[in-house]
Amino acid sequence: MSSESSKKRKPKVIRSDGAPAEGKRNRSDTEQEGKYYSEEAEVDLRDPGRDYELYKYTCQELQRLMAEIQDLKSRGGKDVAIEIEERRIQSCVHFMTLKKLNRLAHIRLKKGRDQTHEAKQKVDAYHLQLQNLLYEVMHLQKEITKCLEFKSKHEEIDLVSLEEFYKEAPPDISKAEVTMGDPHQQTLARLDWELEQRKRLAEKYRECLSNKEKILKEIEVKKEYLSSLQPRLNSIMQASLPVQEYLFMPFDQAHKQYETARHLPPPLYVLFVQATAYGQACAHMKSSSQPPRQDKTLSVAIEGSVDEAKALFKPPDDSQDDESDSDAEEEQTTKRRRPTLGVQLDDKRKEMLKRHPLSVMVDLKCKDESVLHLTFYYLMNLNILTVKAKVTTATELITPISAGDLLSPDSVLSCLYPGDHGKKTPNPANQYQFDKVGILTLRDYVLDLGHPYLWVQKLGGLHFPKEQPQHTVIADHSLSASHMETTMKLLKTRVQSRLALHKQFASLEHGIVPVTSDCQYLFPAKVVSRLVKWVTVAHEDYMELHFTKDIVEAGLAGDTNLYYMALIERGTAKLQAAVVLNPGYSSIPPIFQLCLNWKGEKTNSNDDNIRAMESEVNVCYKELCGPRPGHQLLTNQLQRLCVLLDVYLETESHDDSVEGPKEFPQEKMCLRLFRGPSRMKPFKYNHPQGFFSHR
Amino acid sequence: MERPAPVAVPLGQAEVFQALQRLHMTVFSQSVSPCGKFLAAGNNYGQIAIFSLSAALSSEAKEESKKPVVTFQAHDGPVYSMVSTDRHLLSAGDGEVKAWLWAEILKKGCKEMWRRQPPYRTSLEVPEINALLLVPKENSLILAGGDCQLHTMDLETGTFTRALRGHTDYIHCLALRERSPEVLSGGEDGAVRLWDLRTAKEAQTIEVYKHEECSRPHNGRWIGCLATDSDWMVCGGGPALTLWHLRSSTPTTIFPIRAPQKHVTFYQDLVLTAAGNSCRVDVFTNLGYRAFSLSF
Repeated sequence: MSSESSKKRKPKVIRSDGAPAEGKRNRSDTEQEGKYYSEEAEVDLRDPGRDYELYKYTCQELQRLMAEIQDLKSRGGKDVAIEIEERRIQSCVHFMTLKKLNRLAHIRLKKGRDQTHEAKQKVDAYHLQLQNLLYEVMHLQKEITKCLEFKSKHEEIDLVSLEEFYKEAPPDISKAEVTMGDPHQQTLARLDWELEQRKRLAEKYRECLSNKEKILKEIEVKKEYLSSLQPRLNSIMQASLPVQEYLFMPFDQAHKQYETARHLPPPLYVLFVQATAYGQACAHMKSSSQPPRQDKTLSVAIEGSVDEAKALFKPPDDSQDDESDSDAEEEQTTKRRRPTLGVQLDDKRKEMLKRHPLSVMVDLKCKDESVLHLTFYYLMNLNILTVKAKVTTATELITPISAGDLLSPDSVLSCLYPGDHGKKTPNPANQYQFDKVGILTLRDYVLDLGHPYLWVQKLGGLHFPKEQPQHTVIADHSLSASHMETTMKLLKTRVQSRLALHKQFASLEHGIVPVTSDCQYLFPAKVVSRLVKWVTVAHEDYMELHFTKDIVEAGLAGDTNLYYMALIERGTAKLQAAVVLNPGYSSIPPIFQLCLNWKGEKTNSNDDNIRAMESEVNVCYKELCGPRPGHQLLTNQLQRLCVLLDVYLETESHDDSVEGPKEFPQEKMCLRLFRGPSRMKPFKYNHPQGFFSHR
Repeated sequence: MERPAPVAVPLGQAEVFQALQRLHMTVFSQSVSPCGKFLAAGNNYGQIAIFSLSAALSSEAKEESKKPVVTFQAHDGPVYSMVSTDRHLLSAGDGEVKAWLWAEILKKGCKEMWRRQPPYRTSLEVPEINALLLVPKENSLILAGGDCQLHTMDLETGTFTRALRGHTDYIHCLALRERSPEVLSGGEDGAVRLWDLRTAKEAQTIEVYKHEECSRPHNGRWIGCLATDSDWMVCGGGPALTLWHLRSSTPTTIFPIRAPQKHVTFYQDLVLTAAGNSCRVDVFTNLGYRAFSLSF
């Protein structure tokens, strides 16, 4: 250790000038007791300038001596050696002086260095102190800024405003006299108050939580109670079924219907919902005037097999199994017997025209107890609805021969709206489907499938825009609702008018024109011409008649109309009337075309008066409608024709050249027989005066 | 007989009624406007329709040009006769005559300028006016019709100046003999009467049906049409169409047409006549020789 430290010290010592001597001197410095010759003290006494001079002098002397020596040496001689010796001794002395001077210089140097070192050290120490102080200052400054920037948490708390604080806080907290002056105290007081308030609120919160817990528990209890109620109610419902039936309030039945309704395809579902709603609305409106028992004029039911409907939506795996089985079967059958192309096509057609297993039945009851039964079907692949209709009456109807078509299921609903003949599919996309399986039109299948009338599609909410066939037509409730009321009313009117016609035809076939008492005023008391015949005529036959060409050309004789022939006779005069009955009777009037056989054949092309007679029944039909709903129109028109024939025959001017009395004496009271450039007969009957005049 | 099937248009109540009305319509009267561009026609429903002749006859005529420019309800009853003055259209039907301004007639909601009713004797039924005749020299209008009288009305004041009586049955037609001036009237009673306008008296009576050559009893005795050329007169109807020499009141030529005549006019040297229920307009020269027929 000590060797190490001395080693350490030694390099230090070696580095600095003045070797071990200095080391000794250092020791001697430390021991400085006066015993030793201290040159350091001598250095302080001597003047460096003088020493320098001495040095210079000594060096000069040495140089001189050396030069003398050399001279002597070069001269040679005996006493030279003594002189050289002398000079040598002098130069040795000089050398000694030089050495001393050197030593002194070294010591001076060392002293100087030491002094410098000391001073430097002092300066360093001061410097360090300065730095320390500066550092501290900086530190303190930082601290000060930190302190200044310090945001106390209390500033983040939103305290109540000063006024509120002074108002609300109790005086022991607010301590107004202290805090008013001292903002620190004030803030403290405010914080105190804040703390107080928060404590109170925390209390309240805890109370509320506990309340909530209590209430939740109560709710749980009640829920359990209610859920246990449900099975009990069900059992009561079951027990009440017999009572329901007894009271004619079939709630259960309605419920079951709604269950079944969920399996209906969308258009049928829309129809079902809208029809039920309409039926209930009607019953509701009428119930105020009727006894409490519900008298439903519209009843809706669902028929068909729900299982089949469910089967339509079987998951694909089952059907794949079925398919593979059927494929295997098919392969076998192809070996035995190839199904012909026709049979295949037939199957495809049947597949395309397949109906959904569920159907909706709507029964419309009219005032006279007759019922219109409508069954609506949905053709799945074609996405259209069809309807089959049937009319039943309270009493058994004996159908007169001419009334065959009136109530037939095929034609009773034809043209409910103008032009809606129900023989073509309303969905334009079906045409492409038909082409694939070779179906020309739906007309051939209509008897079996029902008629796809446009109003049926609308009741099911299906709308087919004419321009573009759409892929998916969605059933729309609003479309159905907007058409429901009008369509139902039209259906009722249609059934009633057909039934009225039915009755009238029965009477007409017997030659009696049934004029009701409230229409008697339209005709004079005595009518001599009689209806002799009333038969149906086929459409083609009507078109062939020579006196119906005007009507045919005007496009009023389509194939949706019904055609009849009436024959009115008086004496030798025979009047044939060809009648076009539009399905929209009685809002669209029947059209008559006349041909009179008496003294020649007179039709509207050669006799203006025949034309006037036609005008009387065709154009002036509104007077003949009778009381609403106007079912008397046809019979009144026929009666009027009889009256017109009477007038015509009686007012025919007598031909003076022919002998004999007039065949038909004039019995009608007429003001004038002829009027106007066309010399019209007086066809207009005036009630109650009872005379005939011109229009 | 092959006939193309008519297109079945879905017909609602309104369309059917319109079609029936048109089938039973009769046009009774027509008149051309003073400027010659328009034709007014009156029908049995009391409506007047104005057609644009210039549009319908032009080379670019389309279907719409043949439809009326405007149609309005003029009278309650049929419009049996119409005549045009240089500013007005006069129409007459059930008992009254109305005047319409030609300049305003094309505007919608046109109202009549005035309406006049001649003083009728009977009030039970309003008689119709079958014929109107303008007498330009007097600026008056002669009306004749159901009450068997000829009434003259002054067009300036609108008062009825004369009532000429003599017919026993209603009057069908009137004609003006310019030179005298005399008015000829033909009626249902089979007589053609000539009236002197200055004296307001009947000057001459020709009972056509009494002449054997022209009478056709099976048709009746009524005179439907009259035309006069001052010296000559053509009349027809129940009796055959005959050319008369007025001064001597003798029938000179009988035209061989079977159907009762409804209209006849003199045109230069020709007689143009149309029967009511055939589609032909026959053209005769005075010598009773049918030159040709214009067919519809």
